[in-house]
Amino acid sequence: MTRTIVIIFLFTLFTTSFHALAENKKEKVVVEYKKYERFDLGNLEIQGSVIAPGDVSVKERERKVMESDFYEKKDYYPDIRRDILNLK
Amino acid sequence: MNKIIIKILLTFIICANGFASLEKARQLYNDPNVERKNEKITYELIMGDYYFSAIWFATKHIVNAQKIQPEFEKALKALIIKAGPEIFFDIPTEALVRHDSPTLYFVLGLRYFHEKNYAEAIKYLDKIPDNNYLQPEIRLTKGAAYSLLGNSDAGYSEYKKCYTHAENAVSASSNDKIKRYYAILKETCLIHVARLKFTSKEYDKSMEAYDEIDKTSYKWPYVLLEKAWVKYKQNDYNRTLGLLVTYKYPLLESYFMPESELLTALSYHKLCLWEDALSVIDQYYNIYKPRSEALASVLTKNKTSDNYFFYLTHESTQMLEARHPFIRSLITQIKKTVKYNVEYGSYKIAMKEATLLKKMNRDDFIRFLIEETDTQINLKIKALNWYIKEYMYEFINKINDLSFQLFKIRIDIMSKKRDLIYKGTKLIADRGRGDLQHVKRTVDEQFWEFTGEFWADELGDYSFGLKSNCEEVKQRTFEDVKKEIQEEEKGQMKNEKESESAKGAKND
Repeated sequence: MTRTIVIIFLFTLFTTSFHALAENKKEKVVVEYKKYERFDLGNLEIQGSVIAPGDVSVKERERKVMESDFYEKKDYYPDIRRDILNLK
Repeated sequence: MNKIIIKILLTFIICANGFASLEKARQLYNDPNVERKNEKITYELIMGDYYFSAIWFATKHIVNAQKIQPEFEKALKALIIKAGPEIFFDIPTEALVRHDSPTLYFVLGLRYFHEKNYAEAIKYLDKIPDNNYLQPEIRLTKGAAYSLLGNSDAGYSEYKKCYTHAENAVSASSNDKIKRYYAILKETCLIHVARLKFTSKEYDKSMEAYDEIDKTSYKWPYVLLEKAWVKYKQNDYNRTLGLLVTYKYPLLESYFMPESELLTALSYHKLCLWEDALSVIDQYYNIYKPRSEALASVLTKNKTSDNYFFYLTHESTQMLEARHPFIRSLITQIKKTVKYNVEYGSYKIAMKEATLLKKMNRDDFIRFLIEETDTQINLKIKALNWYIKEYMYEFINKINDLSFQLFKIRIDIMSKKRDLIYKGTKLIADRGRGDLQHVKRTVDEQFWEFTGEFWADELGDYSFGLKSNCEEVKQRTFEDVKKEIQEEEKGQMKNEKESESAKGAKND
């Protein structure tokens, strides 16, 4: 019984030490990206139903004319009132 | 010599009479058994020319009596003329109505007008008989009340009556000051007719009424701007500019109207003379910005004062000039107004009265009169101070408001200039000198060149002769230039080919 326990203990000790050794060894990872990629936009196809307009365009529209609400004399009510208030 | 003696004698009689009346008033005041005491004291004080001292007794009588005597009506007339109708504004309505007095109805009508209750004002003014001495003022007030209520027909009819009554009063009065007062009132009625016609867009009739104001009239410089608006509405921008340029006349220096600058800029804008409009706008900012700042500094420092502005009008021209030339000019303008002159005249009467009273032996009665006169003087100072302050505030607010309006014109011009660039067009011509063919004239207007002449009576009858610049012509664009070069090259190539073929034919 005691022998079996000693064997299990030694086996556990051995595997743990092996893992620790393996972790210490750092592997160098090199990631490579594509240096150039060409998209042919004209060739792209949209799968499924299209809900947006197929092409982007600017519609011709008339230029907005600014509203000019310049001061216009319509009446003299304040002046008429003032004349009476200053009446003696 | 005789005249001097007569004058001395008259002064002596008046003084003696005044003293006797005051003495009688004192006896009445000290007598506990006298009936209708306040009424009798009022008569005596008015007889002695102590109008401001009489106000308190007259007011007491109006409030306490059940009915006033016809003689008291005359006393009221004297008080209203010397001290103004507002002296009775604080009397309760029921007391004013109770006596069926035309003068008190006028006070009530005017008070309701102040309160913007125009219908009530008309109601009480209607109760005054047609032969009353206040008819010119009553008709003017009624006309204004109808106009403000939107009843232009009734307003017009009242103004016409106002004109007739004022004209009759001018012919009836022998005193020059009173004559001048009614002449101004007559012109005010005319101006109100012109304004009424302007509001109802009857511009020819409006102009006819304005043209009746004589050039020698006190009101005439103010009318120029209103006439310019009529011409502007009639699309006669050259005449508008001509009327407004009259304000540049040196003798009209104190009649500076910021609104005239706006109307000038608007007229140039309508004629598409944008550079001229922009130059007027720049000029406005350059002139009125420092003026506005100078005025604002005076106003903000003293806005709570009850007498600062009143005493400002007493400062010498040099002192006012040292504050700011614009303050001096504005004070000159205020001092020329009828309201200021009449109120100031009233203040001087009150001061004279107080000085006389303060020289007398002070018993209870005299002390009471001094106290009442001082109260009236303070009220006059406060009223004048308020008037001047309000005038200045209105002026500064107008400057700021017009500045915004001019800014809108500037923005519009910039927008229009940008549109021209986008469209590749430009306005037909640059600003040039005017021409007689652009001047609109009525049958009674003539054209004079004034070569080497100066006539004072041409003032206010100027017209510019500017051609409208609003027509657009296509401008050379980059594409046009490119096309022209290409055509030129084609032409050159064709010429070369032709000359070569001609050479070939010659050789053959």
